[in-house]
Amino acid sequence: MSEVPDNLSYTKEHEWLSLDNEGNVKVGITDHAQDSLSDVVFVELPEIGSSFSKGDSMAVAESVKAASDIYAPVSGKVVSVNTKLEESPELINESPYDFGWMVTIEPRGELEDLLDSESYRELIA
Amino acid sequence: MTSRRTPLFSHHKELEAKIVDFAGWEMPIQYTSILSEHKAVREDAGIFDVSHMGQIFVKGPETVEFLSYVTTWDMSRQKEGDCRYCHILNEKGCIIDDTIVYTISEDNYMLIPNASKISKIFDWLLRNSENFNISLENLSDEYFCLALQGPDSPRLLGQHLNTSVGSFQLVKIGDTIVSGTGYTGEKGCEIIGPLSEIVNHWESLIEMGAIPIGLGARDTLRLEKGYLLSGQDFDGNQTTLETDYSWVIDWNHNFIGKEALMEFQKKSYPKLRGILIEDRGIVRPGNLVFSNDSKISSLTSGSLSPSLRKGIGLAYLELDIGTPITVEVRGNHLNGRVVRMPFL
Repeated sequence: MSEVPDNLSYTKEHEWLSLDNEGNVKVGITDHAQDSLSDVVFVELPEIGSSFSKGDSMAVAESVKAASDIYAPVSGKVVSVNTKLEESPELINESPYDFGWMVTIEPRGELEDLLDSESYRELIA
Repeated sequence: MTSRRTPLFSHHKELEAKIVDFAGWEMPIQYTSILSEHKAVREDAGIFDVSHMGQIFVKGPETVEFLSYVTTWDMSRQKEGDCRYCHILNEKGCIIDDTIVYTISEDNYMLIPNASKISKIFDWLLRNSENFNISLENLSDEYFCLALQGPDSPRLLGQHLNTSVGSFQLVKIGDTIVSGTGYTGEKGCEIIGPLSEIVNHWESLIEMGAIPIGLGARDTLRLEKGYLLSGQDFDGNQTTLETDYSWVIDWNHNFIGKEALMEFQKKSYPKLRGILIEDRGIVRPGNLVFSNDSKISSLTSGSLSPSLRKGIGLAYLELDIGTPITVEVRGNHLNGRVVRMPFL
């Protein structure tokens, strides 16, 4: 059974989001997503300062068998990336909601179309 | 077409394997993780359900002559109990499939075609058998194949069947054949027998400690050793020479495709080469290969090498070992070079 913490928001593309005090959005992939991917062996992260529109591919997580795009859940500018994933991509598998976070985005406009934990649990049920 | 299942399908599901379609079969791609399964085969022993692969039997007084004609190998050099890896070519010298030929006895041979090529190979053999006193039987639906691979395999085989088998040798135990063959480059064997016996073999070997391995790790294991994947590294348009497997050809006998090969080798041609990626990143089949900024080829196979922790791939190239190349992945060029195979 996949873990779905109550305090996070989710997308249909199996990303999680959390809002920090400065209004930035931290993004990673869900426990369900890391389990479907299996061993993450390579992560391609965006450059700090790059801008994305909601729905753009902004990062890639690769398992041995396949590459999966990670889509920007909100339009905005990348303010930080988890550089630890370059050396230790397995953090995504081991700690998807904590040490396996991927990017922080300074959002442009409102956060829309997000699921709460209950709706996301239904999605993956 | 509905997917087919081996008798172990429910066992795979119980082990929570991820199931994929492979050549029309619902097969386990991984049970736990490709990385851990890969490691288990390199360091301990793994067991693979490869019952989707074919078993074609050739029998009769002219079996040796027939199989010599339809494969790249001269079967008169085989002794009872020998196994031989070789290619089956069309008249153009292009590979229809690669196979292992088992000499069960002088007039009783077995071939193991790839799952996706069973009917193609059977039809091809039938069509070319007119002038030979032989009979052909496709028993692919009645036989299982389990591969036990890894350094601990000989011990497990001894414990399970009280036998041992040399590399590319076979032993018969009743209707069951155990051969010193595989697709991982490790010590090990393949057990082939009547379908009804598969569960017993699987359960016993698992109980003794063999780790179930899916097709995902099977692919990374074979790629590290430079073994060809049928339908991917050759797709009906490449000769044995281009795959750089000329050692499977015995030129001192007459076989389908020989004349074409003799003509083909008069000119220069690209050969299947290993590519080792030096930058961080993983390459995939179809990624384009560049040399001096011009596109020269594309990868037929590509993956992460779990053992080397680097991207590896295969491509048809006219470049020397050591030549630097780049591989384009999502618009970025990853640096690599042409390397001698096997990778490991």
